[in-house]
Amino acid sequence: MKQYLKVAFTLFAICAVASILLAAINQITAPRIAYNTQQATIATLEAVSGGYEQGEQRPGNGENVNYVVPLYDGQEIAGYILELTTSGYGGEIVMATSYDTQGAVIASKIMSDSETPGLGKNAEESWYMDMFTGLGSDRPLPESKNDLADPSLVSGASVTFNGVSSAIRAGSEYVRSLGGR
Amino acid sequence: MSHMKELTKGIFKENPTFIIMLGMCPTLGVTTQVFNAFGMGASVMFVLLGSNIFISALRKIIPDSIRIPAYIVVIASFVTIVEMVLHAFVPAVFNALGVYLPLIVVNCIILGRAEAFANKNTVLDSALDAIGMGIGFTLALSLIAAIREIFGAGTITLFNLSETQRLVITIPGLSESPVRVLTLAAGALLVMGYLKAFFTWKTEHRKNTEGGKA
Repeated sequence: MKQYLKVAFTLFAICAVASILLAAINQITAPRIAYNTQQATIATLEAVSGGYEQGEQRPGNGENVNYVVPLYDGQEIAGYILELTTSGYGGEIVMATSYDTQGAVIASKIMSDSETPGLGKNAEESWYMDMFTGLGSDRPLPESKNDLADPSLVSGASVTFNGVSSAIRAGSEYVRSLGGR
Repeated sequence: MSHMKELTKGIFKENPTFIIMLGMCPTLGVTTQVFNAFGMGASVMFVLLGSNIFISALRKIIPDSIRIPAYIVVIASFVTIVEMVLHAFVPAVFNALGVYLPLIVVNCIILGRAEAFANKNTVLDSALDAIGMGIGFTLALSLIAAIREIFGAGTITLFNLSETQRLVITIPGLSESPVRVLTLAAGALLVMGYLKAFFTWKTEHRKNTEGGKA
């Protein structure tokens, strides 16, 4: 019995010291991480705003659209920025995509992901998102990599591409359902 | 064994990747760019150093029956510290390493060195072992990544934090018509297989030479 208690206490002590150490480091890093995340979100929304003025943030559809930011050209609504959530190869992908009122993509940028470096992580590059720019209204958005002019650009990362593409298509439909309001 | 031998054995003679064959998942997964290899190697070296020092210092306190869960707690704590610090102070590196950072917890090199070395040796020797193994792992990853990136993409990415903070050497000729399969999973296995064959041949050759001299 004494032996079991000794073993249990030793493991408990190691876990307790580890928890205290992690709590202390979390205390130091958490505010900094929150600040970084906030700054990154502001920068991303600005980058995809297409030069339009950003309006008041509205709630999304509770599914894959987290929130909506209307874009104003003077008093007129010129488009929307949507924060979209989708699934990639390494888990959840959060992205900001702006559309005109007809559902055509103005710009798009990944906010967070856990994709494979060198493969799925290429979705963070501007050339990757440029493949969707201008599509979604008169010209359809790609449903698979075979709809691209050069499918080899996304070789080895089809799951990431399908996730990003389906989120952008869903966002385009959502924007059209808003009817410019 | 002298302290110097503890430090240098991980670089070639007991290289964790090519000789001991540990930590294969990140080796195959992260070696698409040279910069990823540097980042992964540095992170593993930090965790290896911290966990080896702690486990060696606590080796007489930790009962044998709970050594594995105790090692896992120590290793997971160090990985979480690396994650939090990188996320807070170097978010670009945190984002670049992505999913491979939390996966360091299950990297066999770290648990393997804790079990095979740190729990039987002094703190100094364990620290030297960790540095040597970390350097060996980083060099192995860098070699695989260099071969895959040079022939698979025609580039060498030395630094890549964002689109504006990037240092990429483009190799004329190869960048226009690369052997694209090398950047895929199959390419990682091919490169690893050839390098393993080379290192096995080199080890055998050295043994035969030493045997001949004796």
